[in-house]
Amino acid sequence: MALRIQALTAALYLLASLLAGFALALPSARAERFAIRALWTAALLHLASFALLHRLDPPPPLTHLPVAVSFMACIGTLFFLVLLRRVRMAALAVLVAPIAFLSSVFALRIAPSSAGASELALSSASWSHAHVLLASAGLACLGLSAIAGLIFLLEHRRIKTKHPLGARWRLPSLEALDRANRASLVLGFPLLSLGVASGALWLVRERGTPWSGAPHEVASLLAWGIYALLVGIRFGSQQAARPAALSAVAGFVFLCLAVIGLEVLA
Amino acid sequence: MRILLWGMNHRSAPLAVRESFAVAEVGPALEKLCASPEIDEAVIFSTCNRVEIVVVTRDLEAARLRLRVCFGRELLRGDAPAPPIRLEDHLYEHLDADAMRHVLRVASSLDSMVVGEPQILGQTKQAYQTAVDCGAAGPILGRLFQHAFATAKRVRSETRIAERPVSVARVAAELATQIFEDLAQKTALLIGAGEMAELALSALRGAGLGALCVVNRSAERAAELALRFGASAHGLDELPALLAQADVVLCSIGGERPLLTCEVVERALAHRPERPLFVIDIGVPRNAEAGINDIEQVYLYDIDDLGALAQRNADERGAEAARAEAIVEEQRQRFDGWLSALRAVPTIQHLRERVEALRSAELEKLLRRIDLDAALREEFDAWSRSLVNKILHPPIARLRKEAEREEGIAYLEAARALFALDEAESDGE
Repeated sequence: MALRIQALTAALYLLASLLAGFALALPSARAERFAIRALWTAALLHLASFALLHRLDPPPPLTHLPVAVSFMACIGTLFFLVLLRRVRMAALAVLVAPIAFLSSVFALRIAPSSAGASELALSSASWSHAHVLLASAGLACLGLSAIAGLIFLLEHRRIKTKHPLGARWRLPSLEALDRANRASLVLGFPLLSLGVASGALWLVRERGTPWSGAPHEVASLLAWGIYALLVGIRFGSQQAARPAALSAVAGFVFLCLAVIGLEVLA
Repeated sequence: MRILLWGMNHRSAPLAVRESFAVAEVGPALEKLCASPEIDEAVIFSTCNRVEIVVVTRDLEAARLRLRVCFGRELLRGDAPAPPIRLEDHLYEHLDADAMRHVLRVASSLDSMVVGEPQILGQTKQAYQTAVDCGAAGPILGRLFQHAFATAKRVRSETRIAERPVSVARVAAELATQIFEDLAQKTALLIGAGEMAELALSALRGAGLGALCVVNRSAERAAELALRFGASAHGLDELPALLAQADVVLCSIGGERPLLTCEVVERALAHRPERPLFVIDIGVPRNAEAGINDIEQVYLYDIDDLGALAQRNADERGAEAARAEAIVEEQRQRFDGWLSALRAVPTIQHLRERVEALRSAELEKLLRRIDLDAALREEFDAWSRSLVNKILHPPIARLRKEAEREEGIAYLEAARALFALDEAESDGE
């Protein structure tokens, strides 16, 4: 049942991607509205599928990479949709929807099994879930911050060099992108911090120490440190929008390499 | 029936000539025109860029003479001196297909000074409505103008002809919307004055710009502008403080040296590094140093930058115009088909009358020979009518269809000869 819902979710994400693409190419405000509706439906179904997965006995482990990535896409999409109510940036659906689609397909192709769940000690399972949920949600928000930053950098360059794309493309304004970047950082960094903290507690439960020196731990802590520095600069010294956007992109690339890249290599 | 169009526009006549024909009230002129027997229908179209008359006539030469009189006398503004010109040098004529095409192009804004501008459709509708109100527009011009409105709608929805701004003022306003999320929350600073700056300001206001401060060397001029735009007036000495508050700066002030130097702008923005500043420099010589564009949050566009963008947009509109012309041609052909089909109407009418006369006469003869009661007579009458209709239906349908094509005239002539319609007409006379 959960897998069927996930398949439907992937189809809806694909539909939202196509509609968002049409909305940008035509351009059409109507197609954009339909894309956002499709994205809302897909994200809510996606969340429902996770709730159903959680009711399996035993539930599949969230530490399974495709599931974690899929969860990240779900939270990121929902955060984007909530943010849309405050910031005019519906055109970014053209990036958010395909990422969500690919993530959900990735999770479907490598279906989670309950087998790994038994490997986790019952006492530490909740900490591992908390770690993955919080870290994934943090990554999702910071990912959105990076997308907003990337589009900002491209648009900023075009306007500075006197080659603006024009209002026809209905891209968000520089100010809207900067606001999205800031809001994503405000929510994403605390979630990431909680994710790191819950990860340490998980290790304590599992091995009796919060630090084992594994590459994933070193890279994660380094990434968290870098983000802490970026957040400090951004909110401590009224950083200008362009360096803030650059930091968001660079920070997220490093975070992905540290958290997901090492996992894949392992 | 011929469709004839005479007129002058921004390409054929200079403003000095056009303004002599700028008719504020076209109603009386239309009524006078339609009182002439050679004019069946007429619409007068008068805007700042064109004065055109389109008429439907059965007598082309007489209609031409009538339009000559109309332009030479009736359309001249009462208070305007007769321009010392030869009208022929400025007037153009379009006939039938060309006239149809011209009306469709005008409504679709393909013949406008700024291709794709939106006002022309409203003006065309107004001109047609005036003609309807005066009883000057009949079925042919009615159909032509409805076709023109549909064409304009298709051109707008199927091409991107009107999407990108082509005036410097609107380019500046569009750029502001790409930088700022909500212009209503932003403050603009107008330094100096000038027509172009005021146009840009109006465009920004149209895009929803919020507060405005006006700075000028002359306090009087600043106060006058501030009053007109609902702004606050300031002297040049307040510039640094105002600059620190501004989001959009529009400058067009005289002076040998730039007013907005890198140092001035950097100092003003020192306390607000996170807020962008959009500087629109319309002054010649320039009021802002080119180097301020290198400051992180400053976006500087001078008159050349805006002009280049406006030109790029105009070029894009030109490319879209080719697609729009194809739509116009398609629509013209449709209208032409409808108009051609009208040619078949007299022939079909004659054919029906001729056959009906034969049917009535033959039925009368038959009923004189045999004695029938009233009910049977009606039965016979209905039967003969039905028979005639069934026989006539295929040739009439074919005639209507063929008449939409240029070659359809041969079918009409064949029908007239086969059914001896011309003889019947002369017999009747």
